[in-house]
Amino acid sequence: MRVEISYKFTMGFILVVASVVGFNLLVPLLGLEAYWWHQVFSVGSALLVGLILGSLFSRVFTNNIRVLREAAERISSGDLSRSVRLRDTVFPDETYDLALSLNKVNNNLRELVGAVRVSSGQVADSAQGLSATAQEMTASSHELSNTVEQISRGAESQAETVETTSRLIKEMEVSTELVVAAAGKVLEAVDLTVSTAQQGGETARRTMEGMKQILLDVEQSGEQVVSFGGQLQKISKIVDVINSVAQKTNLLALNATIEAARAGEYGRGFAVVAEEIRKLADSTADSAGEITQLIGNVQGDGLSVEKSLRASIEEMDKGKKAIDLTSTAFSEIIDTAVNAQSKAFSITELSNKQLEGAHYLVGAIDDISQVVSDNAAATEEGSAATEQQSASMEEMAHSAQDLARYAESLIDKVKLFQLENSESSD
Amino acid sequence: MRQVLIFRLGSEWFGLEISRIQEISEMPQLDFIPRAPVWLMGAMNFHGNVMPVLDLGRYLDIETLMTVNKVVIMPPGKEGIALGVTEVFRIVYYDANACLPCRQETKNKFIKNLYDYEGLVVNMLDISTLIEELNTSQI
Repeated sequence: MRVEISYKFTMGFILVVASVVGFNLLVPLLGLEAYWWHQVFSVGSALLVGLILGSLFSRVFTNNIRVLREAAERISSGDLSRSVRLRDTVFPDETYDLALSLNKVNNNLRELVGAVRVSSGQVADSAQGLSATAQEMTASSHELSNTVEQISRGAESQAETVETTSRLIKEMEVSTELVVAAAGKVLEAVDLTVSTAQQGGETARRTMEGMKQILLDVEQSGEQVVSFGGQLQKISKIVDVINSVAQKTNLLALNATIEAARAGEYGRGFAVVAEEIRKLADSTADSAGEITQLIGNVQGDGLSVEKSLRASIEEMDKGKKAIDLTSTAFSEIIDTAVNAQSKAFSITELSNKQLEGAHYLVGAIDDISQVVSDNAAATEEGSAATEQQSASMEEMAHSAQDLARYAESLIDKVKLFQLENSESSD
Repeated sequence: MRQVLIFRLGSEWFGLEISRIQEISEMPQLDFIPRAPVWLMGAMNFHGNVMPVLDLGRYLDIETLMTVNKVVIMPPGKEGIALGVTEVFRIVYYDANACLPCRQETKNKFIKNLYDYEGLVVNMLDISTLIEELNTSQI
């Protein structure tokens, strides 16, 4: 049966008052004479009763309170292993309620601490995992940052390379334009060469024709000179005949003179005639000699003419050969020049195409340059972002470590509480 | 007035009186004379008479290898010989005043004297001595 403490005090007070009253009633029975003795006795008895009751009551109460205080102290020191047990009594009061409440508190705390311990363990584990992950991520993000920086540097050098390439290609474009101009000039020169060579070939052909005509004329002249020489020889033979006739005439004249001399005075006229005939024969022989002389001169001239004609013919043959060679050379030149013309033309075409390609190339390189610089910018941004991320990751790692530390300190804190499990395990 | 035939032996000029000459002719075909001396060229047929042809240049020791184009033929019988000469020149009138004075040493038994005809030095041949010499020699 539950009795509140106030009732207990009231009951004790009533009991004391009752004992005072009772003893007052009993004292006369004892036979004591003096009144004040009566009073002293009754008050003394009542006081005694009150003392006994009070000491009993207060001992129980104090004991309970001490148990409760110890339990509370135990709880406060973290020992949640034991529950509060008060001595069994017939009249439980508020201390029992308090003990029950303390037990409830103990249980609740124990559950809470257990949960906290488990959770904080998990949190610590998670935080450590998180920290490790964050560190790994930091490392990764550092690597990423390095990589991005490398990429950035690569992009910068790429941009430089692209710029160099662009410059080179522009130079190449300029060179190609020069090549185009030069090829055009070559084409003009080759055209000129072709026309000149054709003119030269035409001239050589005409010269050849003229030469052939001259050669024919000279050959004809040679034949004429030869036939002239033959006629001269005929004349020479005739002159020889005349000469021998003159000699014979001379001889006859001499014989006639001898005959006339033998005839003496009668032969005188005949001797004169013979002398005249001899003179005629002499002059005939002289004339014939002159003619022979002339023929010899003419023959000599004819021979030298023939010789010079032969030399001329030889020279002309040489000239003809030279002109043939020249003509061949000109036709070869023309062939070569025509070849060169087509080649120069194709060079021009090719260089024009190259120029077009170079233009395209310049445009493309500009685009590439744009893309590369965009890339470089983006890479730099990426680098910055990566660095930021890295910093964030580091912060996160720090936080995770902090968290782990907190969790560990929480665990440490929670370890202060001794739970039933640990007690049982102890 | 005497007339003289001027003829040439090699490069020398000789003269002979035409009264001793029968005829002048071209060098004919000669017949070979066996065992004849070197100055005898051969024999020729002159109008049916066989006449020996004398190589006068060789006989007079003028030139050994001269050409002989003409023959001066003596009358057959008494002289009976033909003289081979290089060439006959002409017949001129003989002027005794034109004879060149000369010393005995320059003379020869076949050369009577030297005659100057218009600058030509002509050896006048002593044909009688020549014929005599020929006749005395053993042919």
